[in-house]
Amino acid sequence: MGRQIVHRLLISLPALLGVLFLCFCLMQVVPADPAAIIAGPDAKADTIAAIRLELGLDRPIIVQFAEYIWRVIHGDLGRSIISNKMVIEEIAATMGPTLELMIAGMLFAIPIGMSLGTIAAVKRGTWLDRSIMAIAVAGVSMPIFFIGLILIQYVGYKWDLLPFLGRSGPVWAGGLPNLILPSLTLGSVLIGPIARLTRTSVLEVLGADYVRTARAKGLRERVVIVHHALRNALIPVVTLIGLQAAFLLGGAVVTETMFSWPGVGRLAVGAIISSDFPTAQGAIMILALAFLLINLLVDVMYVYLDPRVARQ
Amino acid sequence: MNILAPLVLDTATEAPVTDELQQVALPGRASLMRRLARDKAAALAATFLTIVALAAIFAPIVAPYDPYFTDLSKAMQAPSAAHWFGTDTAGRDVLSRVIYGSRNTLAIGLIGVIVGGLLGGFFGILAAYFRRLDGWIMRIVDIMLAFPAILLGLAVAAIAGAGLTAVIIAVVVATIPDVARVARGAAIGVMGQEFMEAGRAVGVSDTALIWRYLTLNCISTIFVFLTLRFGQIILIGSALSFLGLGAQPPTAELGMMASQGRDFLFISEHIAIIPSLVIFLIVLAANILGDAFRDVLDPRLQQ
Repeated sequence: MGRQIVHRLLISLPALLGVLFLCFCLMQVVPADPAAIIAGPDAKADTIAAIRLELGLDRPIIVQFAEYIWRVIHGDLGRSIISNKMVIEEIAATMGPTLELMIAGMLFAIPIGMSLGTIAAVKRGTWLDRSIMAIAVAGVSMPIFFIGLILIQYVGYKWDLLPFLGRSGPVWAGGLPNLILPSLTLGSVLIGPIARLTRTSVLEVLGADYVRTARAKGLRERVVIVHHALRNALIPVVTLIGLQAAFLLGGAVVTETMFSWPGVGRLAVGAIISSDFPTAQGAIMILALAFLLINLLVDVMYVYLDPRVARQ
Repeated sequence: MNILAPLVLDTATEAPVTDELQQVALPGRASLMRRLARDKAAALAATFLTIVALAAIFAPIVAPYDPYFTDLSKAMQAPSAAHWFGTDTAGRDVLSRVIYGSRNTLAIGLIGVIVGGLLGGFFGILAAYFRRLDGWIMRIVDIMLAFPAILLGLAVAAIAGAGLTAVIIAVVVATIPDVARVARGAAIGVMGQEFMEAGRAVGVSDTALIWRYLTLNCISTIFVFLTLRFGQIILIGSALSFLGLGAQPPTAELGMMASQGRDFLFISEHIAIIPSLVIFLIVLAANILGDAFRDVLDPRLQQ
């Protein structure tokens, strides 16, 4: 198993380099000259040239890329053009809220999605199964901002049940009410896919020999489903949840923007709209790295859940 | 965006294409239509999509008003007989804007599916046919997969500036790696078939083998995958527009219209809700139709 994990780590290295290179290119191909942007609109030509020299923009691309990696490793992502704060500090402040939102969204979606999927599989072919699957298809077809708009308009504004603007602090310090609507919005896009896959997976497992054996032993149906079927049906579902991290990260960008949630996604969108290139580049890089890391964790977890993978 | 990838990949790479499946894979058009028509939900979805597509194509004839004509004295009116979907903040007719907006929204979906599908399919099939290229192509695909679609959208918008072009580039680039993986999986299954070996044995050229044998046999798998991706691409495109990175005002695009309406949600909710609802219905119809296509064309994908 250890070897498998090391192997997986090695495989993600090129992807890691690729992500870094693309982020590096982001800075290179930006239509405007970074030195001119940093110097400001009224700067003289020699000021721009000085900044150009300071940034190392006159050296070969490959050298610049190596230096870029060196700086990234040391946490130097430059300064925000707008706030003049270090980009790494800006990002550090937003990572907690994004993580919080994603975890809360998953905590909401995973139990509901898996229960719906299991119920649909056990009651296969009934009206219950059909309605659950209809809800699931509707769920994957819903633009995330539609759910957010409805929650803001009704739960937040008209019925005045929950706050919908910003974050009021960590969950343990009274931040929970503010977290509920954004995490419901983000989590709702996951319920459909999880329910669909859980259903297929449980159906497959229910036909397996060991489930028949468990039933033949006279075990209660509940025990058969929870202890024998669900555990094995979980494997593809875990992979899916990991793959959905991409979806969730993307969803987080929209959700954060809608609910003024101070996360990485909102930072990135704000930076792009205000042409704050260093911040945009840093935030996009962190999001891409987070995505790589989640996929790596999923693969490792997959090996742990299904030892057959390690033996291959 | 990745919901379907694991399902499709597992079956596509593992299950060899049997002779029986090839017969199923390319049924006559009439029988395909008959089978689709039997599925009521799919028939309804197809009808709805056809109506939306026709309305989008013939927007100048169908739309009751000029979608860009502002009349502030009529701003934010609720739906009425004169304006079925009400008016927006500038007094423009929302129905007309929805009709013109679905033009752009559908175009994003179609371009994403067609261009992304062609490029992805090309690379996937090349990777399966020329084993020496396989490692390289799939490594690049892995790197591309490291950028989720929304992130790509952010990156492209950061470079090229916000606009419809940025969204289209993002959805095309995001579609390529997924299609490449599916196409490669399907093509590897076909490569193991005897007719490929037979073709090579009698000296059929690489080009002919790739086009006439390999691609034709993979096309239904790729087609089904792309139908299922169409809705996802529309969701991504409208999300990017909603964020302000896509179509810029006053251009009518459904996601951007929802975003503009968001600022006036509490005063007049229909401005944001109606375009969002239309996106939902288009994607829902596309997904239902995609599922039906999959059941008919490529039963292997049905898990």
